[in-house]
Amino acid sequence: MQAENAIEVKNITKSFKVYLDRGETLKEKVIFKKRRKYEERKVLRGISFSAKKGEAIGLIGHNGCGKSTTLKMLSKIMYPDSGTIEMKGRVSSLIELGAGFHPDMSGRENIYINASIFGLSKKEIDQRLDDIIEFSELEEFIDNPVRTYSSGMYMRLAFSVAINVDADILLIDEILAVGDVSFQAKCFNKLREIKKSGTTIVIVSHSLGQIEQICEKSIWIDEGLIREEGKPRVVDPHYLEYMSEKEMKRVEKKEEKKAEKEEKTSKDSTDKKESEENDSKEKAIEDGQAHEKDDKRWGSKEVTMTKVEVLNEELEKKTFFKNTEPIILRIHYESKNKLEEVVFGIAIYRSDGEYIYGTNSLIDTSKTDSLDGSGYIDLKMKRIPVNSGTYSIDLALHKSDGFNYDFWREVCQIIIKNSKDEVGVVSIAHEWEIH
Amino acid sequence: MKTIRELYDYRTMISSLIKRELRGRYKGSVLGFAWTFINPLLQLLVYTLVFSTIMRAGIEDYYLFLFVALMPWIFFANSVAGGTSCITGQKEMVSKIYFPREVLPLSYVTYELVNFLLTLLVVIAVVIVSGKGLNPLALLCLPVVIIAEYLLALGLTFITSSVMVYFRDMANIMGIITMAWQFLTPVMYSVDMVPEELRGIFYLNPMTPIIIAYRDILYFGQVPELRNLLHGFFLSLALIVIGWFTFGKLKKHFAEEL
Repeated sequence: MQAENAIEVKNITKSFKVYLDRGETLKEKVIFKKRRKYEERKVLRGISFSAKKGEAIGLIGHNGCGKSTTLKMLSKIMYPDSGTIEMKGRVSSLIELGAGFHPDMSGRENIYINASIFGLSKKEIDQRLDDIIEFSELEEFIDNPVRTYSSGMYMRLAFSVAINVDADILLIDEILAVGDVSFQAKCFNKLREIKKSGTTIVIVSHSLGQIEQICEKSIWIDEGLIREEGKPRVVDPHYLEYMSEKEMKRVEKKEEKKAEKEEKTSKDSTDKKESEENDSKEKAIEDGQAHEKDDKRWGSKEVTMTKVEVLNEELEKKTFFKNTEPIILRIHYESKNKLEEVVFGIAIYRSDGEYIYGTNSLIDTSKTDSLDGSGYIDLKMKRIPVNSGTYSIDLALHKSDGFNYDFWREVCQIIIKNSKDEVGVVSIAHEWEIH
Repeated sequence: MKTIRELYDYRTMISSLIKRELRGRYKGSVLGFAWTFINPLLQLLVYTLVFSTIMRAGIEDYYLFLFVALMPWIFFANSVAGGTSCITGQKEMVSKIYFPREVLPLSYVTYELVNFLLTLLVVIAVVIVSGKGLNPLALLCLPVVIIAEYLLALGLTFITSSVMVYFRDMANIMGIITMAWQFLTPVMYSVDMVPEELRGIFYLNPMTPIIIAYRDILYFGQVPELRNLLHGFFLSLALIVIGWFTFGKLKKHFAEEL
């Protein structure tokens, strides 16, 4: 182990037995001996990394990629099948909060139980008791039984104990979502403080923002292997992009399936119409689908959008953009006849439903266009100056009086990343000048 | 060796868990902690009624003869029966937090020991009141017997609790075994009643020398035979060693199996 390292993980592998049909009891074990088939599922296929003392690293990856297993092995809850893990100093893990809490005992007594499970001695707990109580902000309630606490208070107490266990290495699993916003901020500051004092931190989190704020290094684990390792600013966007592509593929597949099904059911129903016998159940489903279709798209269909593509400057399809990058929306259309007075409109919503921006070609140019046959319209945006998040886009082709030809809600989703730590809804171009 | 040092570091956890169990046991009941004393006294009352009026056994002061052996037996049986599920019952803790796994059986059996020691106060009080009298020299041997029984119960609990993780029938099986075991241990009868040719087998039962020693000290008021004491202690030591290593081997995969 190198002197400056606090954690060294070398080529660890781990597989779990996944029982397809597991007999837990004697009877089942004896009678169904042959049935006890299991699959060896390789969760980790050889992972190596190291962390320097005082460094914070974030493990990212989709569910089931092996990041939590890695953390469990660091905390010695599980052991690797092969490979070695070396760690220097006292390890504390914030994986489970409030372990051993007894509802009938007071907050103070529970602090002792909980902290002792983290391996603190009575003397050490005595020293930390005031800090823990102060941090939890539960001074008035500390001698009440824990069962009288609200769930927020409960978690605050649990977190306060966990975070006040001084350790050389701190392992954290997805638990920074504790309490209200101000308590979260407090926890975060405490983490920074801990880090500053030289504690090495390993975080598993879905909130990449948290990782970026505190970690020097992100490790992206995929299918039990390290896919990428480096600065969070570099690795996290790659991961996000990969995830959104995966999501897109999933959605596309779903759409395809749906389309297939629709085709089939419409065929079926025409078949059935001939026989004049309509299954009421199927009809209900069909109605439901028709309704759903109406929900997202409506209009007279004299001109329709056949396809919408989200492109970058190089005209490559993408869903992931920095908020400084140009974005092109290519809207393919098809109209049956020549249409006059057509207006194109767009609306952008944030994933929580907040209406971010809307405009149309009439507002922009004070004139309308005419469409005939098929072609495409490019909407070129220099940048979408918003903060990091997922945004969905509505598009519309309508007449200047508002009559809809084709209104399409949530045509596509784009993920925007702000590489700066700005907060709020929009990113305003600015500079500071000192006079 | 490393584990033992670590267990020492986690001593506060062990004592907190014991305290929590003790506090939790009678929480909410009206008589609360007094039950620890009332319970054996009521049992004594029942035995006295049954065995001195209805079912007369041919043993002098049979109620006392039974009482001084039954209380240690109950300590042993409770430790093993309850201790078997001490790992599986703490699933959340075991699969999410690191601590030396030995803490759980250790604190459970020690909790039962604390209960037993309190019961023992009642037993000693009853012996004094009964007029049998106590032999101070014999009483000095009592801690040795208690330690031997504690180690035995702990060793067995190490085995059953770790096997239980992989094999959930263990709890039920142990229920039957302890029941049968009680009848095969001279708790309700004296070892003299056992046919001569079976006695050798009887002494393979690690609880036999322990129960005999308790009865020697508390009922007969005499110092237990050294041979018997050593015999009991040796069996206990053997079991704690086997238990310790079995547990050490099986504990690595607890988190995955739970």
